[in-house]
Amino acid sequence: MAYENLAFLIPLLPALAFVITFFVGKKTPYGGALIPIFAIAASFLISLLITIGLLQNPDQVISQSYHWFAILNLGILIDPLAAVMLTMVTFVSLLIHIYSVGYMSHDPAKSRYFAETSLFTASMLSLILSDNILQLFISWELVGLCSYLLIGFWYQKPSAASAAKKAFLTTRIGDVMFLAGIIVLFADLFKLVNGSIPEGVYLLRFDEIFSHIPEIAAMNATILGFEVSHLTIITLLFFGGAVGKSGQFPLHVWLPDAMEGPTTVSALIHAATMVTAGVYLVARTFPMFIAAPQSLIVVAYVGAFTALFAATMGIVMNDLKRVLAYSTISQLGYMMLGLGMGAVIGAEAVGVSIFHLVSHAFFKALLFLCAGSVIHAVGTHDMRELGGVAKVMPITAATMVAASLALAGFGIPGTSIGSTGFFSKDPIIENAYLFGEHAGNWFPYIFAIVAALLTSLYIFRLLFMTFAGKPRTNYGGHESPASMTVPLSILGILALVFGAIVVEPFNKFVNSTFVNNFVNMDIPALAEVGNYELVHHAGQEPLLILWMPVIVAVIGLLIAFVIYYQKAIDMSRFVSKDNSVYKLLYNRYYQNEIFTQLFAVKFVYEGLAMAGYHIDRFIDGIVNVISYLIIEAGDSFRKVQTGVIQHYSVAVITGVSLLVILIKLVMEVF
Amino acid sequence: MATDKPDIWDSFVHEFNPRRFLIRLAHMEIPPLEVIGRAFVRAAIVGLFLAVVLVSLYGTSWTTVDHLPQNLEDQSNIKAIGTLIFTDFVVPFEVLSIVLLSSLMGAIYMAKGEDNQ
Amino acid sequence: MIPLNWYLALSAIIFAIGLYGFISQKNGIRILMCVELMLNAANINLVAFSSYNDDMSGQVFALFSIALAAAEAAIGFAIMMSIYRMRDAINLDELNLLRW
Repeated sequence: MAYENLAFLIPLLPALAFVITFFVGKKTPYGGALIPIFAIAASFLISLLITIGLLQNPDQVISQSYHWFAILNLGILIDPLAAVMLTMVTFVSLLIHIYSVGYMSHDPAKSRYFAETSLFTASMLSLILSDNILQLFISWELVGLCSYLLIGFWYQKPSAASAAKKAFLTTRIGDVMFLAGIIVLFADLFKLVNGSIPEGVYLLRFDEIFSHIPEIAAMNATILGFEVSHLTIITLLFFGGAVGKSGQFPLHVWLPDAMEGPTTVSALIHAATMVTAGVYLVARTFPMFIAAPQSLIVVAYVGAFTALFAATMGIVMNDLKRVLAYSTISQLGYMMLGLGMGAVIGAEAVGVSIFHLVSHAFFKALLFLCAGSVIHAVGTHDMRELGGVAKVMPITAATMVAASLALAGFGIPGTSIGSTGFFSKDPIIENAYLFGEHAGNWFPYIFAIVAALLTSLYIFRLLFMTFAGKPRTNYGGHESPASMTVPLSILGILALVFGAIVVEPFNKFVNSTFVNNFVNMDIPALAEVGNYELVHHAGQEPLLILWMPVIVAVIGLLIAFVIYYQKAIDMSRFVSKDNSVYKLLYNRYYQNEIFTQLFAVKFVYEGLAMAGYHIDRFIDGIVNVISYLIIEAGDSFRKVQTGVIQHYSVAVITGVSLLVILIKLVMEVF
Repeated sequence: MATDKPDIWDSFVHEFNPRRFLIRLAHMEIPPLEVIGRAFVRAAIVGLFLAVVLVSLYGTSWTTVDHLPQNLEDQSNIKAIGTLIFTDFVVPFEVLSIVLLSSLMGAIYMAKGEDNQ
Repeated sequence: MIPLNWYLALSAIIFAIGLYGFISQKNGIRILMCVELMLNAANINLVAFSSYNDDMSGQVFALFSIALAAAEAAIGFAIMMSIYRMRDAINLDELNLLRW
């Protein structure tokens, strides 16, 4: 079963689909949707077959490299981590493409849409299976480009165009940091091999990078009086790139605005695939992070903070998609937190976090697609105008309930009963508890628990406000066509049962990523490079800790039930412009104002204008001074010409006398 | 005595006697500092010039003849000057005469003024 | 015989006196008279050298110099008359049309 030879087709087929759809898309039926669907279906099949082959012997990873130029190469690496990501991405992309056929059926520009989404899929796949970090960066940038194109799909709307620009610029900041990290890494590697590179060795390929980790960690640099190892710097810069792409604080501001694009775009890009590229990067370079524990702690903190921060804003939003956007940011924070727990439990953190990534892809895509279905049928985004949609769209409502259960993480600990989200989110929270026990630092755990409570609160608020009760306005709607409800149902079933079935083998599979015929990393040894040691996952936490996430999820559900279904508490006291806390949350902590008005306009723009103005005045002043001096000198000199002849004769006589004296003196000297 | 016309001796005493001199001295106005200063500066400059000339003069050894020539026949040298004018220096002489003529014409023309006579 | 230097010193002193008068006087006529003084001082110089070096050309030169001085004085006075006609005064101090 030489499926390895077909591995290069995985990104190639969607790329071909992009080219074909771009040129002939308008003429084909369904606006050119069939070509990408076939291409992605083929990629999905190949990925699935490769994954199954890899499951049987996990240490025979597929690695093919081709020389590009100088010491760079292009190559494919499919190890367990890449295999599961490939399968997930192709599967979700396929389902969303099928759904988009129905969703975008009224849009005149749908061929452009399908071309752009297939390009996006191609670049995301190439990102996942790149075997050196430069190729990963190239695909990273390409993915960012597609995100820009797709967010600004309805570019005639100025808000969409500016949202696309904001997304691109914000992720650009992250990309710059990523590139800086690559450059530092390359410089260090180059210095280590002392300029003599044997044939067939590619410096930026992951096995090369990983083999030099201890040496890089030994190099130290002094920045602002702190002594940090180069490895910490590189990993922090890589994490900077992930912050931009995956929407961690403070570069998360583009994600809510990215909801200006079509809902299927939000489902594909901003729930399942692109934003997970940052998590994938950290997972891919995880050995580097293990050996630089300060970076892992930073990852954990940023993730935990983002999870809480976004959840606080999600509970007050009134737009259907905005709530989901903040939910995405919050869940991405959970993923980063999960990776950060590698500081305590080692390589298992990769398995836990990636499993949460995959399950999040399923239920978040499902949530977005359901929201899209509602918006497509009803025509409005605002939840305050909805209510009682369940009567009109039962399938959508049912799948949405399934997704909400998964998001909130309902399940029974210690057994195999539970939604996917339960099996993916709970291990992260348990690891945070282990971290707290081991390092004495409880902030990640507390943040994770409070964020779980808020998560359950906002998703059930959304559910009750939209689907339950009586319609608040007269919207009129209908159930969506089959091309839309079938993907919803598939994803809904997965959201409920995928976790229970798959979690154990999945974790074992992914945890063996770093021990195979490509790289062979001894994770605990790397931890010693970073001067700490790992704790093995005990699994014997107190029962209360195991039940805590479920308890807070149920509490959130009850609060939402009471407030929004039974309307027992009148929220209008809180939900008013006079309540300063509400205003703070509703205005998203004034981040837009801070970033745009304060920082960009005041500091950068006005600062530059002021500096330019002063420099202009300064240089003008210099020129003026010079001319002024010369004019004044000339003015004083010409006063010698008085026109009175006696003065001239005085000058002549004096000059002659002095000249004679001078010559006499000079003659005497010589 | 008062009916005498004033004679020379009287005018002399009238003009040049110490009483008038003292009165004139008393009424005399010393020019302001500025004017005296300017005069001083000019005197200084001329004095400087004079000093330079004198010093260079007394520092040079002029070649002279031992005895001043004595021409017993023509003690005023007019004959010799005349001879030189019309032999060695006849050209400058003629030019000088033209110069005198032209300057005479120019001076008379300018001094005549605007009358159209 | 008296040393040559004395004649030369005399000439220098007379020149200096004429120069001082030229610098300090306001009246145009007086300035012209001082110019004549300076020319005469130069003549004394010429004649002294001619006498002490037994060379007649110095005296011829002095003759020409006197003639030229006369011509120049004539023109100078004619110019003074023009100035007087224009300004009703011959204060050469105030004649500064050629100034800056």
